Amino acid sequence: MKREKPLFAFILIPFFLFSLSTKLFKIDSNRNQTSRLMQKQIQSPARQTDPSQQEKNVVAKGSLERRAGSTRIEKATHPSSQNNESLKFLIDSSGLTRVERKQERDTSLSRENFIILNEGRPYSCSGRDYAPDQVMVKFKPAVSEEMREIALSAYQPRKIRRIPRLDIYEVHIPEDLSVEEMLYLLERNPDVEYAEPNYIRRLTQVTPNDPLFSEQYALYNSGQEFGPPASPQSGTERADIKAREGWVETLGDETVIIAILDTGVDFNHPDLDDKLLPNGYDYANDDSDPTDDHWHGTHVAGIAAAETNNGEGIAGVAWNCQILPIKVVFVPADPLEDPYALTSWIADGIRYAVDSGAHVINLSVGGSTPAQSEMLAIQYAFDNDVVVVSAAGNDGGAVLYPAAYDTIIMGVAATDFDDQWLSWSNTGPEIDVSAPGETIFSLYPTNLVSPPFLPYAWASGTSASAPHVAGLAALIRSIKPEMSAEDIMNIIRYTADDVNSATQSGKDDFIGYGRINMERALVPIIISALLEKR
Amino acid sequence: MKKILIHVFSVFMILSLVSFSFGQDQERKLFNAVSISPGIGFEYFKRTINWDDDQYTSEIKSRLFTFGTEVELQRGVFVRAFLGFSSTEYESMVFRELPVSVQLNVGYINGYVLGADVKKSIVQSEDLKVDAFGQFFFCSGGKKEWEIPGLPVEGTVEGRPTWMRATIGPVFTYTGFDVLYPYLYLNFNKFWGKFNMDQTIQDLTGREEKKILGEGSFGISLGFTFKLTESLSLRSEATFIPYKDGTDSGIMVKAMYTLY
Repeated sequence: MKREKPLFAFILIPFFLFSLSTKLFKIDSNRNQTSRLMQKQIQSPARQTDPSQQEKNVVAKGSLERRAGSTRIEKATHPSSQNNESLKFLIDSSGLTRVERKQERDTSLSRENFIILNEGRPYSCSGRDYAPDQVMVKFKPAVSEEMREIALSAYQPRKIRRIPRLDIYEVHIPEDLSVEEMLYLLERNPDVEYAEPNYIRRLTQVTPNDPLFSEQYALYNSGQEFGPPASPQSGTERADIKAREGWVETLGDETVIIAILDTGVDFNHPDLDDKLLPNGYDYANDDSDPTDDHWHGTHVAGIAAAETNNGEGIAGVAWNCQILPIKVVFVPADPLEDPYALTSWIADGIRYAVDSGAHVINLSVGGSTPAQSEMLAIQYAFDNDVVVVSAAGNDGGAVLYPAAYDTIIMGVAATDFDDQWLSWSNTGPEIDVSAPGETIFSLYPTNLVSPPFLPYAWASGTSASAPHVAGLAALIRSIKPEMSAEDIMNIIRYTADDVNSATQSGKDDFIGYGRINMERALVPIIISALLEKR
Repeated sequence: MKKILIHVFSVFMILSLVSFSFGQDQERKLFNAVSISPGIGFEYFKRTINWDDDQYTSEIKSRLFTFGTEVELQRGVFVRAFLGFSSTEYESMVFRELPVSVQLNVGYINGYVLGADVKKSIVQSEDLKVDAFGQFFFCSGGKKEWEIPGLPVEGTVEGRPTWMRATIGPVFTYTGFDVLYPYLYLNFNKFWGKFNMDQTIQDLTGREEKKILGEGSFGISLGFTFKLTESLSLRSEATFIPYKDGTDSGIMVKAMYTLY
């Protein structure tokens, strides 16, 4: 054998064998090329719902007056109120055109009329990364269009499509070539500026099918109109907590429990009843019936973990997590008297929540004076890796207790639909993060509403901000069960959006580290080569 | 990276000088070796890997540039040691056990590679030779640090990947041609490794060690050795490792110069 021939073979044979391998052995471009993360997807089958519930109307409630000298429910105010006075308003059928239209539409709907997106599963970024039979080609500017098409036809493509003005070609490659081989050939053409696979992009959001989800700008703000029909509002696009993106990663684990220490919850609410654990307790009345005789606790519980993707009502932050209702707020029979909570009830409630297996505790209550027994109970929770979240207060003053116990608790301030800090949201170094707290749409007790109203309402206050954070803490706990409470609190802090960085860069006394960002806290952050530290 | 390159280059130079000096002095034979052959090689391979207890599958691609010396200790028994430079891409690897989950899309990570192989002749007939061959590779990527984007505070992740590969099996070589010796290597082919990632965001710290396991355990390598001259030979090889859902592959080219 002559020397020249083997030398030629030396160069060609390996290349031939390698090319052959990608074809004959069907190198699995579906799974092998680029990202092929085969994550298990979580199914969230829609529940049967009672269509008659759709026939009820919507109630918007304001909040309670303050009661001096006792720990109180955080005052919820409406922006139209003057001097931070509480505003109480009911929406009836007169003059509520927008809601009535919604009702007319809703009453004609049954569960079958709702589209279950993606069969109830979250959209995932897994799967094939690019089209298996196409490549994208860009020629150098000096190459004429005629020359480009002659050059492309030499590769015997099945189809060529030109994107006008961009002068990029979508080339459907011959059946006997793989994408890799086609790219290999094209890259060697001196007239080609670049050739790349025709990459696939996927939806990276989960949208629940709850019909009133559009009212929840805090979860997804597209700049839509929301709020009481008498005073509709709209905010800045994407001034929200990025819930739809976060839900791609997790919808929450059913074993994760959020304890709502508040006025109790409505056990008959269709958007909550299947999420409630039966072993709640009422420390305000010392019995085992933590039924909400106010509305505050039901509203808070709905924000954190209302039944979601059930074709009814609203979405909760933690879709699948359970709620442990613990009533620690006494509601006097006289409506002129304010509800209140004693720190002994709160301490007992926290202790009970921890001992009952809660992973997160929401405390949308506050007072101006620290209490050692309350702090001891929160320390007990912290030491047992239970995340305690509390509202900062709504009187524009210093952060209230228990939020002000600082490192062992998450103090939450309020921002609005434009990601602006709200002037009534209390301030101080104990603020960890903020969450939307203005005109927040959530549940209203069914026993306190009568037709034609629906058991849903808007309310404002840091009371509404805190359960957004509690829901996020429950989602983090769901996917990182080994994390300590301190780590979970830090994850929430350090993944927040510093939305006031223009004026208050870094952590500040108004919104802490920033408005929470569920996407960044839950979904893996992509690290690219450009981020390498030299 | 610079340090690794300097180290690899230094070792390359030392081995070159040692080899050259042995070549100059035919009387001084290393370990009384039958022959000694320094060489350089290039290898590229793709390997499908599982991680997180087989929950996820992705792919690594690696390019290896090696320098080594093969010593024929006694007739038919060859030992080769080599080291070099590696560049490995760990595609879309996700670290979910860190406090803040991250997905690496950082392209190729450079490092060094070292290893050894042993070959022993078993059968030698007129036109066919059968050898037993075993090889071990160890590759360590350099420690890399990346910023975590978008946080309100400074945060970094620091990664250090390593992988190993071991193959063993018979090599069937056809020796009927003058200068070209095609061969078939049937091998048990094991690939494993780990990727350590540390995260620091203020006082929030975490570490994840991700174990990597290559798909497929048996490979087929087809190649040939071409003797350009009495001393200079070239070897080329393509490897296929079939597994449940496809086939991984690789290519290797090596040039060796026999000093004596």
